[in-house]
Amino acid sequence: MIKLKNLERFYPLTKEKFFYVLRDINLEIQEGDFVSIMGPSGAGKSTLLHILGMHDHGWTGEYFFEETAVHNLKPKERATLRNEQIGFVFQQYHLLDDLTVYENLDIPLSYRHYSKSERTALVADMLDRFQIVGKKDLYPRQLSGGQQQLVGVARAIIAEPNLLLADEPTGNLHSSQGEEIMGLFRKLNDEGMTIIQVTHSEKNASYGKRIIQLRDGWIVN
Amino acid sequence: MNDFRFALRQLVKSPGFTAVAILTLALGIGACTAVLSLVNALLIRPLPYRAPQELVLLWQKFSAQGLDQIPVSAPEYLDYEKQTTSFEHIAAFDYTDLNLTGGDLPERIQSAVVAPSLFPLLGVAPIQGRFFTNDEFGEGRDNVVILSARLWQRRFNSDPNLIGKQIALNGSNFTVIGIMPAKFQFPLPLFGIQGGTFAGPVDIWKPIAFTKNELESRGSRSYGVIGRLKKGISSAQAQVEIDTIHANWLKQFPDNYNADVRFGGTLYPLHEQVVGGMQTALLILLAAVGVVLLIACANLTTMLLARAGACEREFAIRVALGATRTQILRQILCESVLLAVIGGAAGSLLAVWGLDLLRAIGVQTVPRIAEANLDVRVLVVMLAVSIGTGILFGIIPALASGNPEVTEALKEGGRTSTAGVPRNRVRNALVIAEVAMALVLLVSAGLLMKSFARLQNVDPGFNSRNVLTTEIALPVAKYPRGKPVADLFAEATRRINALPGVETAAFTSILPLSGTNSDSSFAIEGRNPMAEKVYPDEEIRVITPEYFQVLKTSLLRGRAFTDADTADSPKVVIINEAMAKKWFPNTDPIGKRITFSDPRKPDVEWVTIVGVVATMRHRGLEEEGKPEYYLPHTQRSNRAMVLAVRSKQDPRSLTSAIRDEIRRMDPDLPAANVRTLEQVTSDSIAPRRLSVVLIGVFAAVALVLAAVGIYGVMSFLVVQRTHEIGVRMALGAQRSDVLRLVMGHALRLVLIGAAIGLAIALVSSRALQAMLYNVGAFDISTFVLVTLALGSVALLASYIPAVRATRADPMIALGHNG
Repeated sequence: MIKLKNLERFYPLTKEKFFYVLRDINLEIQEGDFVSIMGPSGAGKSTLLHILGMHDHGWTGEYFFEETAVHNLKPKERATLRNEQIGFVFQQYHLLDDLTVYENLDIPLSYRHYSKSERTALVADMLDRFQIVGKKDLYPRQLSGGQQQLVGVARAIIAEPNLLLADEPTGNLHSSQGEEIMGLFRKLNDEGMTIIQVTHSEKNASYGKRIIQLRDGWIVN
Repeated sequence: MNDFRFALRQLVKSPGFTAVAILTLALGIGACTAVLSLVNALLIRPLPYRAPQELVLLWQKFSAQGLDQIPVSAPEYLDYEKQTTSFEHIAAFDYTDLNLTGGDLPERIQSAVVAPSLFPLLGVAPIQGRFFTNDEFGEGRDNVVILSARLWQRRFNSDPNLIGKQIALNGSNFTVIGIMPAKFQFPLPLFGIQGGTFAGPVDIWKPIAFTKNELESRGSRSYGVIGRLKKGISSAQAQVEIDTIHANWLKQFPDNYNADVRFGGTLYPLHEQVVGGMQTALLILLAAVGVVLLIACANLTTMLLARAGACEREFAIRVALGATRTQILRQILCESVLLAVIGGAAGSLLAVWGLDLLRAIGVQTVPRIAEANLDVRVLVVMLAVSIGTGILFGIIPALASGNPEVTEALKEGGRTSTAGVPRNRVRNALVIAEVAMALVLLVSAGLLMKSFARLQNVDPGFNSRNVLTTEIALPVAKYPRGKPVADLFAEATRRINALPGVETAAFTSILPLSGTNSDSSFAIEGRNPMAEKVYPDEEIRVITPEYFQVLKTSLLRGRAFTDADTADSPKVVIINEAMAKKWFPNTDPIGKRITFSDPRKPDVEWVTIVGVVATMRHRGLEEEGKPEYYLPHTQRSNRAMVLAVRSKQDPRSLTSAIRDEIRRMDPDLPAANVRTLEQVTSDSIAPRRLSVVLIGVFAAVALVLAAVGIYGVMSFLVVQRTHEIGVRMALGAQRSDVLRLVMGHALRLVLIGAAIGLAIALVSSRALQAMLYNVGAFDISTFVLVTLALGSVALLASYIPAVRATRADPMIALGHNG
């Protein structure tokens, strides 16, 4: 599904000196995989995740998503590909404060130009699937952290992406809430969704099928 | 004091914020100060005479003929002088022109003849010399003059020994007996003896010398009358006395005052006469600058709200350290008041500059504008306005920040968005208010501009392009009435016609739209005024034959005057279309006859109508032309005439050639007040232009401030929503989605503001009705265009922050740290 060849990400410090965040990354991820990226703070985990999520464009090397050479795409084409294929879950949930649960779920669909009836059906289905129908009119501040992250996951997958990217999805949750989210991830993976998560937790990583260790921008395993 | 010191330090710390805030305030307070100075000078500040509230003007009226505010005759004035007891003093006055010779160049000087009682009445002493005495009141004793300080300095180099010396005026010698102070002015410009005259400031005063003819004719009215009411006597009481005198005249002089013409007289407060016409315009201007100031306040409030949001953590620390809510409020208000006072000082500087400009634009045409300055009263009011402004725009941010959420704000990286919702509501409300207020002002400006444009495009009944005009007054000593006068103007016409570049030249006693006027009554052959109770009295002009040719006024019927219309030939008159319609409806007026003498007498001299010309607008471009009739100068000589020259080129290039030619004919004859006819026309609408320019400028300032306000609020919201926008982009929002999100927000605010503004404008524009010409107060196209223009500017102002929002990097927005 994903192939990275000699991918590097760096920031210029002076005219001649560069600070490398990622170095010579070569990586293949198959469809249906569940990959955990681990490593100490500053190792480049989130940067790699955002490159995979096509938010970060300042890298060099080659990035193939299925058959598409992402490195040859213009930003707008990358955005279209991302909207079609990728969903995101964030550590801070990043729900929109002024929107209800229902509206937060509706947002990604509206950006993908789904019709009103399709959106209604998909949101209703997702609320039902995640058993949050009763909370659809609540605002994020009225939910617990676990509930907020549940909505975050629902929002990430509502547009039926093939790849789910998660940046420390349980970082702000109690352990029981974390387990609930990780169980959900495994279930989604069992249903065929490819998942890549960044995590510091060995326990969370154990829910996945494969671990990639990053140190100082290099893949070390 | 500590609060002020801290506030000053805060302002110095953010020079960008401080500069924008001070500039915004300077614009608002500066505009306010300039207009307040005008209002102060024109409406509030007393006239520069002793106890000016006691001064009244007396004008007569013939209501049945629609004649109002007309001057009085010499016998009438002498009756008032003898018979009134309500006045401490009463004085007659009239404008006159005197040709000052004896220097290198002859010069026509704007002068006035006045009763000796005038100066004691006004209570202004000369800086040198003395006033007139009663012994100098009368023909043959009037060879004394008082000069203005302006003339004394300019023409006589402030000669300290001028008093007692003689100067040559109109070919005779006059002794200078006094010099008036530099600021003294009388009559004031709006003392139009026959309505609306804009004469220049008077430089020479001489005693009135009523002629024998004047003393015998109650109907020859040319003098203004001013009176000072005795202490304790009201204007109404004096009015009763005047009415009694008039009632006696009706019995005493039945030939002069027919009851049917509804003769009477009215006393007017002097101040109202001088500036009354400007009152509505000034009050509208005051309202306009008030709106500008409010918009500035709204801008400042949003800026301070943004700052207060940024300083929330600091306020939380202060509260944690023991500060009370009042102390926090005081600190924020100190900053806003300090800003406002600095802005007020900068605004005052702007106002000084603006007033210079206003004086330059309006000095010839707006009464008392030369007196407009920043006096102590204006400065005190503006200081109060500045402090009030500071409190006004500071209070909302102060209240919003006076009670910070300490726990939230002090958390490391804690998001302090709890106060955001109400603050955003305030910001949104302020933008809505700004848009609404700006729209009201823009609609007003739009209506006035459209009205002004329509006024400028009015066909006045003559063509003012390429016409030069100059006034020539022949002194009576050298040119007694009759043939010598007619001969000089005929010869001058011949000579000027021969000058290269001249197409045609002609003389008239009164130029259209020049502000001066003259009317005369007449009788129509075959009509019996006593039986019909109709007493024709219309505006009269004396002209040379080519006058209509010079002005390109159409001759509709009959013929123009020719050189064959001489003093000895049958008397002829040309009337305008308005007069033909009024007095000769449904009939051909050509060949009809009128007379200026009593038609019942056997030796009546009839004057035959030989032509009908198009009607010219005279009292103003906005006023339909009145009935007028024209007499040939050979049959009704007039010593003061205006030369009008149609040129084949820029008419101003003819000035020196014309002056030289006049001087060659008579070295003592000045060609005065040289203006193009376009300038005359333009001057006639100058007060209206001043209002339009000012309202236009204020509306533009309001528009800029509103745009800055919208830009500021949207920029702030974009910064505030960076996280949200980042999340949306991470969730798939495209640039266009973000653009729509931000601009949609702005559009909603603009639409609500526009709807409120339009509703207010529908009410407020009624106040403009009196100032509009040929444009309705609810002119749809103006309302629509102005709304679209404001909407476009507002959207443009929100476009920049919106574009900035589209550049938000989701990775930064989402705060990832590698």
